[in-house]
Amino acid sequence: MMRRSPTWPIHLALIAVCFVMLVPFYWVLKTSVSGENIFTYPPNIVPQNPNIFYYVDVWYAIPFARYFLNSVIVSAITIAANVVFNAMAGYALTREFHGKGFILILFLSCMMVPFQATIIPAYLITGQLGLLNSYVGLALPQFSTIICIFVFKASFDAIPGSLIDAAKVDGLPEWRIVWTIMLPLAKSAMATNVILSFIWSWNNFLWPLIMTRTPEMQTLPLGLARFLSYQEDTTGALYAFCIMVLAPGILLFLLAQKEFIQGLTSGATKG
Amino acid sequence: MEAYSGSRPSGWKKWLLNRFVLVPAAILAVAIAWDLYASTHDDGFVVGQVLDAQGKPVEGADVTLWVFSFTTFAENRSVKTGADGSFRITGNPSHHIQLSAVKPGLGSSQRIPIRLYFRSQNTTLQAPLVLSGKA
Amino acid sequence: MAMAMSAAPERRRTSFLRRATTRQAILVWCFLAPSLLIFLLYRILPLAWNILLSLQAWSPLKPAVFIGLENYEEMLTDEVFWQSLWNTVFIILSAPVGIAMALGLALLVNSNISGRNVYRTLIFLSYPLMTVAVAIIWRWMYDERVGLLNYVARLLHLTDTPIPFLNSFFWALPSVVVANIWQMLGFYMIILLTGLQNIPSSLFEAAEIDGATAGDRFWRITLPLLRPSIFLCFVIGMLNSVTSFDLVYVMTGGGPGRATEILVTYIYKLGFVQTRFDYAAAVTVVFFVFLITVAWAANRLSGGNAGARDME
Repeated sequence: MMRRSPTWPIHLALIAVCFVMLVPFYWVLKTSVSGENIFTYPPNIVPQNPNIFYYVDVWYAIPFARYFLNSVIVSAITIAANVVFNAMAGYALTREFHGKGFILILFLSCMMVPFQATIIPAYLITGQLGLLNSYVGLALPQFSTIICIFVFKASFDAIPGSLIDAAKVDGLPEWRIVWTIMLPLAKSAMATNVILSFIWSWNNFLWPLIMTRTPEMQTLPLGLARFLSYQEDTTGALYAFCIMVLAPGILLFLLAQKEFIQGLTSGATKG
Repeated sequence: MEAYSGSRPSGWKKWLLNRFVLVPAAILAVAIAWDLYASTHDDGFVVGQVLDAQGKPVEGADVTLWVFSFTTFAENRSVKTGADGSFRITGNPSHHIQLSAVKPGLGSSQRIPIRLYFRSQNTTLQAPLVLSGKA
Repeated sequence: MAMAMSAAPERRRTSFLRRATTRQAILVWCFLAPSLLIFLLYRILPLAWNILLSLQAWSPLKPAVFIGLENYEEMLTDEVFWQSLWNTVFIILSAPVGIAMALGLALLVNSNISGRNVYRTLIFLSYPLMTVAVAIIWRWMYDERVGLLNYVARLLHLTDTPIPFLNSFFWALPSVVVANIWQMLGFYMIILLTGLQNIPSSLFEAAEIDGATAGDRFWRITLPLLRPSIFLCFVIGMLNSVTSFDLVYVMTGGGPGRATEILVTYIYKLGFVQTRFDYAAAVTVVFFVFLITVAWAANRLSGGNAGARDME
């Protein structure tokens, strides 16, 4: 520990930053329960007569349940595929094998190809696979993500070799070693992967925008953008809708944030 | 050796009783309860009373239900009040409605906006519809 | 479960393939196969297809004709393309601003204070948000009549007339950039925080004994050792901001005029609004070359060792 200096300036600076970061949240929440600032100037700081009727409006103005279900299905597929495939690839990369250097370079260069830059061929390829306008097609491009592979690799690498050797001496088969030793110890990597893949698939906008043909297949971000184009900024319902789509992400993050930040700080940036 | 046998899941409790299961389960329970409540209270009744300017019940006033559609309110149905000035509208299809009453000779009331928590929620007006008294 | 299932056949095969290394190699490739397949299908193949497509005259209804570099020639005189490229460069140049802010924050939340985990969580909270919703929230923060920013600006007498942030040619692009930084700040901060925590504290203690000031310690120890993290931040931030399609699409739709058109939105419009897949593919190829160049330059600037660290 270095010499003690007063900590209140740090607290003050951080509180100021947090304030700036949180103001948009507060503002959108406030409008979603009052709708008043759309019409009134100067705005009230505290909502007058808060009510939840804008949320009721959203529920009936659009097929919210359908969008929500679509988003949940696509996210669930993405998360399941992600955790399994990334853990497998991350485990493979902890081993020495012929061509490992090539694979690492391949993965790192794939990271440099943003998905948004490949939308046209990706659309054509998905069309060839016959997966346009389907749940699997919506999830497929995100089935495996490079950052998460490296997060898994880092957490597998951190497991002491003596533990695995001991299990091998015991005669445990390889898959038992992975299942009973490695995965429980890679819990934070898994949490990181679940949250990141959830964020990425839940928030994905461009791909569903291109892919989906029928309103029944649209996901929440598309529904939100469509609602905006119908209603413009004229109603508090728009902001109620925002809160309704943001809530699941925030909830999941708050539930798992400890493991998540742990996994991210121990894995991603150490490569 | 202990290390890996110890890290094995110790039973169903560990998998069920953690915040990742309990929080979604609680949300689901609330949603189901709300749904049950809504489905048993959505007969579309709107009940209320019409008074004249002096505060006496009005018989035979026309009460009109206006239903919000997209940007404006459209007339949906109307009923006549009974001897005690009360009325009962059935089959309200919406969650965002207005009510008005009129009786020739006794004037008309203002349109009262009513917001419901779900579509066709049964509702009873807190305040009666009051006719203006001007013909 | 899937892992256990794909590993099980390996055990049966051991009788045929006795050599441990062969067994191991098969196992490893089986484990890599699904991920490799996805990357092949959605990263590598599209890249090749893009290059092929960019050399053709093709649209969904017409047969492909090889036309050489004509698509690229068209780009030279395409004003919208140059505008989008310039806007993209502007967004990339703004990434260091966000990273510098995040570095300051990382230093603050890395200090030994109570409640730092709360601060970390709160600052990070904007990252998991759906970008479309973020765009809507900021659209309205910027609103000319009732937006919060204009309200505060007028309250502080910074301006007398409300600024139409998103409808002004001058303000639109910086406004989008600010929204993007707001969303990414927490993510940068976490990455830099990791970097900071990996610096052995013995280095600081030794420096302090030698009489180094806080400034010296920052410039001589923290910053050089943090270079790989900063590089990673820059690459992730750059990729994220130049591809922030949803933010631009919802906030401004590329307008006013083409003031906030970036390459991704332009490619989308070319491909899926004007159905000019061939020309869009050519723009994509240029976009990609441009990204690689920037990443390469950033890697050189950060000391060229960031990639090496990943290789171990």
